[in-house]
Amino acid sequence: MPVFKLCLKIFKKNIPVMSIYFGVFILVSFIMMSNASGAQLGYSDVKTDIAILAEEESVLIDGLKTSLSDVANFIEIGDERSEIQDALYFRRVGYILRIPSGFTAEFLAGDTPTLAKTVVPGSNSNIYIDMNIEQYLNTARLYANAMPDMDLGELTDEVLNDLAQDTNVSMLSGERIYGEQGMMQYYFNYLAYTFMFVLILGISTIMLVFNNLIIKRRNACSPISASKINFQFYLANMFFTLVSWLILVSLSLVFGRKELSNPNTLYFVLNSLIFAITASGISFFIGNLVKGREAINAVANVFTLGTCFISGVFVPQVLLGEGVLRIASFFPTYWYVKANAQIAGISNLSWSNLNGVGNTFLVQIGFAAAFFILAMVVGKRKQMAVEEE
Amino acid sequence: MVVKVNNLVKRYGDLLALDHLSLEVRSGEIFGLLGPNGSGKTTAINCILSLLKYDKGDITVFDKPMSPDAYDIKKDIGVVMQEVAVFNELTVYENIDYFCGLYVSDKAKRKALVDEAIDFVGLNDFRKFRPKKLSGGLLRRLNIACGIAHKPKLIILDEPTVAVDPQSRNKILEGIVDLNKLGATVIYTSHYMEEVEQICSRIMIIDKGKVIASGTKDELKSMITLGEKITLDVFNIEEAQIEGFRQLRNVTSVDYSEGILVIRSLKGKNNLERVLEYVKSEGISFGKIYSEMPTLNDVFLEITGKELRD
Repeated sequence: MPVFKLCLKIFKKNIPVMSIYFGVFILVSFIMMSNASGAQLGYSDVKTDIAILAEEESVLIDGLKTSLSDVANFIEIGDERSEIQDALYFRRVGYILRIPSGFTAEFLAGDTPTLAKTVVPGSNSNIYIDMNIEQYLNTARLYANAMPDMDLGELTDEVLNDLAQDTNVSMLSGERIYGEQGMMQYYFNYLAYTFMFVLILGISTIMLVFNNLIIKRRNACSPISASKINFQFYLANMFFTLVSWLILVSLSLVFGRKELSNPNTLYFVLNSLIFAITASGISFFIGNLVKGREAINAVANVFTLGTCFISGVFVPQVLLGEGVLRIASFFPTYWYVKANAQIAGISNLSWSNLNGVGNTFLVQIGFAAAFFILAMVVGKRKQMAVEEE
Repeated sequence: MVVKVNNLVKRYGDLLALDHLSLEVRSGEIFGLLGPNGSGKTTAINCILSLLKYDKGDITVFDKPMSPDAYDIKKDIGVVMQEVAVFNELTVYENIDYFCGLYVSDKAKRKALVDEAIDFVGLNDFRKFRPKKLSGGLLRRLNIACGIAHKPKLIILDEPTVAVDPQSRNKILEGIVDLNKLGATVIYTSHYMEEVEQICSRIMIIDKGKVIASGTKDELKSMITLGEKITLDVFNIEEAQIEGFRQLRNVTSVDYSEGILVIRSLKGKNNLERVLEYVKSEGISFGKIYSEMPTLNDVFLEITGKELRD
């Protein structure tokens, strides 16, 4: 298989240039990974530092403290105005709850005693504490109204018991929750840039070599048929595409290894494979158009960067203008990124959820077919021109 | 017959590139195709190799009809194109190995053939060089090595010495003669008459796609009336003496310019002797005198009325 081996040798000569792009991919992935570990993107349980200034002791108030202990850290502060102000100013606490004297008795008598709170201005965490206090007192109110003879200790136990109940919720669809989970989409989105560039560079370089009229004629003098030469040529390009894809997908999976167990990962991989075929189609088309090595570098840079920018590889599609996205939809990168977003949004793998992703896959396959056909038409026209020379 | 071309016609639109061209190349010979640039040499070669479609005519190679898919014929042909057909990404060794690999699949056998080819063209010191690092002459030698490494029975060389320095040119020509001695039949195209004259056993001169003469170099030279050309370095000569030269038997023209006297004569015996006798009788002093037999350029000139390199 001399042509196959020759193609591999030429690919090998391009490794230094390609490795720069693989290196950039690894670097950007590292940066993304370190940003993600800063927990800026996701939700996680954070306990609010609160202080409770109780002017009385009771089982009901103890129960409230027990209930709040799941969402709050209790900080001891003195009940002096200056101490309270300092604690809030220096953020030792974000929420101070004052329970007035006689609160329990008034509550059990059916009144609505006031609980005084002091919070750090602009803080959101107090809302969650408010909700928890309200939930506790509302439940206690229900028991007190329904069973007025119930012992206060028993009432408190029942309330705490009720609040401890969890309900499992399954999301049929919806936005993915960011956090340490969910970075896979970013790795796979960014893969498009490196992959497209490497394929255009590699395949177009080979095309340039084999489209050289002299080499074409020289090969035509040999006892190997044109179909065999073409077969070896396409086999080598397919091999190159697969190897590049394997390297980039492996890197993405290594960076997103925490999400390997997520069934969506398989669809990210499948999407990238479809994109690989589309990108090779584009590379064949470009390879048939360009006439010089310098032109390949220029076209690879302009096309790859341009389409990646407008398609949402670097900037999320939601932040891009409608007009930009409309233009981007004429490029397969847009559909690849869109498919990644759709895959990331799937919380369970039902047929209805996969339907949308499937359509996006089909659009990409359509692009691949179109580019391959275009490449063949341009190649055939060139061949005919050569035969006439 | 190794190659037989009969009434080949090739048109590029309105331009008639080959006009009923016929030729025969016999086994074991070096067949020269001589003609000025644009005369149709490369077109003829491309048609013989089935690289170009032609309008009319028959081509047989090794007594079989030649066609684009005649792979059993192609395996015995070595081609050295006019333009250097090598891969800039590969080294000298890798280039020869690739082209040899199109004909020879056995790795061990191929290695031996590639080594032999490198040795033959004298590129041993440049095995790991990329083509861009080679001089024009070395590049041409690489081009030849790529074409002959698989030891073909028929070697077609299309102007292999274009833009090559004299030293490399001689090396290439010597190599072609050696290949022929090793048993290969060679078709050699060139517009350099000296090269064709030097190495070819039979020569065909073409112009505007038409065969204008064919035969051995002696046969070609015998076709014309022109004899030898005598040149003298003369320091001082009178018009009457120049006229005297013109009156000598067989002399067709006498030109004197900047101390050099050129006397052209028809074929015939003792032309030089008569000139020398006249010089002596007239007491003409001269620096040097030399005589040249007619060249292929003279043949071309007499038949077409123009120089080969016009």
